[in-house]
Amino acid sequence: MKNNNKLIIAYSFIGLFVASCSSVQVTEEAVYEDSIQSIEVSSNRSESSTPMESKAVLANATVYFEFDSFNLSTRSIQALKSITELMQENSAIEITIAGHADERGTREYNLALGQRRAESVADYIVLKNISRSRLTIKSYGEEMPMSSSSNERSWARNRRAEIN
Amino acid sequence: MKKFLILILLPNLLFAELLLEITKGSENPYRVAIIPFQGTNSSVNIIVEVLKSDLIRSGEFFILDEEMLLSIPSNIEEIKPSEWKLLNIDFIVLGNVIDEENSGLKATYQIYDVNKKNKIRSSTVFGIPGKLRQLSHYISDGIYETVTGIKGVSATKILYVNEIINSTDSDYILYVADADGANEQVLLKSSEPIISPAWSPDSKKIAYVSFETGMAKVFIQDIGTGERELVLLNDNQISSPAWSPDGKLLSLTLYQDGNAEIYILNLLNKNLTRLTKHYSIDTESSWSPKGTKILFTSGRSGAPQLYEIDLTKFNIKPMRLTFEGNYNAKGSYLPNNEGIVFVHRSSNQFQIALKYFNENFIRPLTESKMDESPSVSPNGNVIVYAITDNTSGMIAGVTLSGATFVLPATSGKVREPAWSGFLR
Repeated sequence: MKNNNKLIIAYSFIGLFVASCSSVQVTEEAVYEDSIQSIEVSSNRSESSTPMESKAVLANATVYFEFDSFNLSTRSIQALKSITELMQENSAIEITIAGHADERGTREYNLALGQRRAESVADYIVLKNISRSRLTIKSYGEEMPMSSSSNERSWARNRRAEIN
Repeated sequence: MKKFLILILLPNLLFAELLLEITKGSENPYRVAIIPFQGTNSSVNIIVEVLKSDLIRSGEFFILDEEMLLSIPSNIEEIKPSEWKLLNIDFIVLGNVIDEENSGLKATYQIYDVNKKNKIRSSTVFGIPGKLRQLSHYISDGIYETVTGIKGVSATKILYVNEIINSTDSDYILYVADADGANEQVLLKSSEPIISPAWSPDSKKIAYVSFETGMAKVFIQDIGTGERELVLLNDNQISSPAWSPDGKLLSLTLYQDGNAEIYILNLLNKNLTRLTKHYSIDTESSWSPKGTKILFTSGRSGAPQLYEIDLTKFNIKPMRLTFEGNYNAKGSYLPNNEGIVFVHRSSNQFQIALKYFNENFIRPLTESKMDESPSVSPNGNVIVYAITDNTSGMIAGVTLSGATFVLPATSGKVREPAWSGFLR
C-alpha cells in the first residue's frame, strides 16, 4: 500500500449568501477543495491459485455459451462428464468454476450472467454426486476476455466458464 | 513574478491526461460576451480562458470572440445595450481578479442582461493559490445558474476507471477528475479489475467493486484519508453498490444463493434487508432522488429489463418500466424524478436512452455501437457514458439540449464514469 500525501488544503468554506434585491443576485463564496489520497493494491490471485493447480492438474476444461444464455450445450456436457468422472475417482480434487461474459451489455449484468454460467456448470457437477463444498464458484463478467477483438467469433470465445 | 507564475501554471494546463472536447453545441445557445477581466493578478487571462472553456463545454453557451468586442466597458454603467444588440448578445460578463493580502485570489464578476438592460448578478469568489481552475469553475457555475436557471456542474467531479494494458497483464486505475477532465488523481491502482464506482451523496466517499481478493467484492473508500474497508465479510460475490440519498443505506447485489439478488445494507448497524427474490438475475440497483424507490435490472421476463420497487409499500411486486427492445439495463433516475436513463439495445447496438415517465416511448440519446454506464450530472442536464469495445474506451457525454462532447483518453481503456453530487 502506498500513500501519496497530497497537499492538504484545509480552506474553510466561507459561505454562500444569496440575496435578492431588485432582481440582482448577490453571492459570496470560497473555493473548497478536498484532499485526495492514492492507494495501490495487488492481488493474491497468483498465490492462491498455485496449490489449486497442483491438486487438480487434469481437472480443467472450458465450456461455452450462447449470448445472454447460461444453458449447457451437448458439447459442454461431454466436457463436464470427464471432469465429474475425475472428481468421482479422486476425492481430493477441488475445482474453481469461473464464469465469463462477452463485452456486449452492461458490466454488472454480465457479472451476474457469468455467475449463472458458473452455477450451471456447478449444478451439473453436483447432480453427478459431487459435493458442492468441493467447488468454488465465481464470475469475472466481461472483465477477463479470452479474445480481445470485437466480433462474433471472439464474443463466442469469451462467453465461457473455465474450470480448473 | 510573471514568469514564475507561468512556470507553475502551464503544467496544469498542458499535461492533463483527459480534457473534454465539445463535438456539437446546443442549437440555440445563450449568446454571451465576456469582457477581459481586469485586476492585479497575473493569471487573470488563464482564469478567463478556463471560464470560457467551461461555458462552451456545457454546450449551452456561445461565447463571443474577443476580437469581435465592439467596446471594452470597464463597468456596468459604460455598457451601451444597443451596441450589444447589434451582435445579438444576450448577456455580458464583467469581472476582475485581485491578489488578497496573505491569502489567495479574490474574483468578482457581474452579469448584465442586455435585453432587460440591467445587472442581474454580482458575485465574489475567494480562490486558493494553485487551484485557479476551481476559481474559474465557480464563476462558470454562477453564470450558468443565473442565465439558465439551473445549477452549473463545472465545479463537480467525475470518477472513472482506466485499464492500462501491459504486455502480459493490465493495471486498473480508479481516477477522480474535475468535470472537464482536468486535475485527474489516482484513487486506487490495482492489478485486478475495478468496476461500478459510486459516490456517497456528500461526495466524500466512494464505493466500488474490486476483484483484488480474487472475487468481486464491494469496498468503501474515504477520498480524503484513503481509508477503505470491505462492506461485508463473507465468502460470496458482492457487487453493484449504490448509496441512498441520505447516505445511510447502500443497495448491493449479493450472490448468497448463487444468484444475483438485491439487498439493502444499513451502513451503521450492518443489517441486511433482502429486496428481490426471483430465480433470474436481479442487479444494478439505483435509488430514486427521494430514496423511496429502487430501480433495477431483472432478467425475469427472459431478457434484461428495468423494474421499480416502491420502498414505501409493503410486499408490492416490482413494476416493469421498459418494454421496447430485448435489452434495457443499468438504469438511473433523473434528479428531478421525471424519467430514467439506461442502456438500450436497438438492432444489435447498445445505446444510452432516456424515458420520461409521462411518455410511452423511449428516446435514444447516443449512436455508437457499444455505449454503456450512463451517469447523470447532479443538475440532470448532462449524461456521461462510456463508448467501449475490447480494444479502446473513452468517456463521452450528451446534454438534454442535444450538445455532445468527448473526453478522449491518451492511453488505456477509459470507462465506468460516475458523476459526483454538487460540491459547492
